[in-house]
Amino acid sequence: MIESLTDPILIIFIIALTLSAYLMLINNEKKTTMLLISSLSFSIIGIASSAYTYIIHNKMVLQGSTSFCSSEGIVQCGSVIGDPQWNNLFGIPWGVFGILSFSILIFFSLCLYLDRHAKWSEDYLNYAWWAGIAGLPFVALLVVIELTQVEGAPHICPFCTVAHVSLIGYVSSIYFLRIRRNMGKWSENEG
Amino acid sequence: MARRRRALTQKGRDDDVRIIAGFALGSILTVIMLMVVIIAPPATIGPSEGELAPDFIADAYNGANWEKFKLSDSFDYEWEEGNEGEWILVQFIDTDCPYCWTEGETMSSLYSEWSNSVEFITVTVELSITNHNSDRAEVEAFRDKTSYGTEDNDGDGCNSGRNDCINRPGTVHNWNYIEGSSSIMKSWEVTGTPFLALLKPDGYVAWNQYENPGENIEEAMQRIVGGAQ
Repeated sequence: MIESLTDPILIIFIIALTLSAYLMLINNEKKTTMLLISSLSFSIIGIASSAYTYIIHNKMVLQGSTSFCSSEGIVQCGSVIGDPQWNNLFGIPWGVFGILSFSILIFFSLCLYLDRHAKWSEDYLNYAWWAGIAGLPFVALLVVIELTQVEGAPHICPFCTVAHVSLIGYVSSIYFLRIRRNMGKWSENEG
Repeated sequence: MARRRRALTQKGRDDDVRIIAGFALGSILTVIMLMVVIIAPPATIGPSEGELAPDFIADAYNGANWEKFKLSDSFDYEWEEGNEGEWILVQFIDTDCPYCWTEGETMSSLYSEWSNSVEFITVTVELSITNHNSDRAEVEAFRDKTSYGTEDNDGDGCNSGRNDCINRPGTVHNWNYIEGSSSIMKSWEVTGTPFLALLKPDGYVAWNQYENPGENIEEAMQRIVGGAQ
């Protein structure tokens, strides 16, 4: 378990998540900008971790194992991403779903970051909110699968968890952005 | 005054940033896909010859009890063409299918000839046909040639309920019988039973029955694995 948690890539992901959470929670005169950067950052971590799980998935399929993640203990990817029954949805690996889903979230956040006063900005904020919310049941499902269904359950796949936390962080950032918008604090000089 | 009015009625940019965002996203996706392809390109998975056999995990009956079985645990990922290794014969059957009933003898014969160089795996599935009921007791009886059902055509037993499973042609099948499912059938593109596929030791499909209508399994094994004892 300790070996899994000291993986350098995982540590980078955890630091990035912590920084994103800091940006989300920090209070300063540029709060809206901070929240937009935070949402963008969470979605980029989400897409990167999804891509990483997809790489692990491909390695597991082609080589039966991978040095990218441990296959022993409770905290590991091998039994989760390597489980042929649960590592995909309709034959498509979960990592690919993650890449596609976070792409949509990145697009909304990037558009809002580049032009928060555009005519479509309120719509895009709502789209980002509902798209993020739509992903949460899948996160819940995947956590249940990890804890109860995969071979030798319970297991926790750390890189999958990074993607899950990214989505939760993204939804939280968008939630705070919606509050600011509704309170008329969307522009920095109004906040 | 003018400055305050500008602040209150802020307008968006004149250019549509959505195009810029689209290009940025496209770049991110390109980088990600390039990294995936370079580090770990996706395998072509499927039951066709040359593809990596679809993996599955299911309960298996080994003659004593039911245990978890994962197909890929049988793969030797280090194996290279020309080297020695254990090949894998995957058979899909329905214990009530008449052709599977008669193929029992062929399988026994193949096992007696190739058991040293080939791992035998039988996946049992239940086709949606009247009198087809492949529960665990019937699967165990089919494999072990033990009494289950009657010799009357009353729907009780193997071969669409026509026979007692103890009379299945061939000997006892001393290999794993996997409890199949519709999802395993789907991933293997199995449309009927019996179905046979021969895998290389590294899990790639070497022979698929559907792709070789003019060659039976004995001929295929002799040609591909060779060295029948």
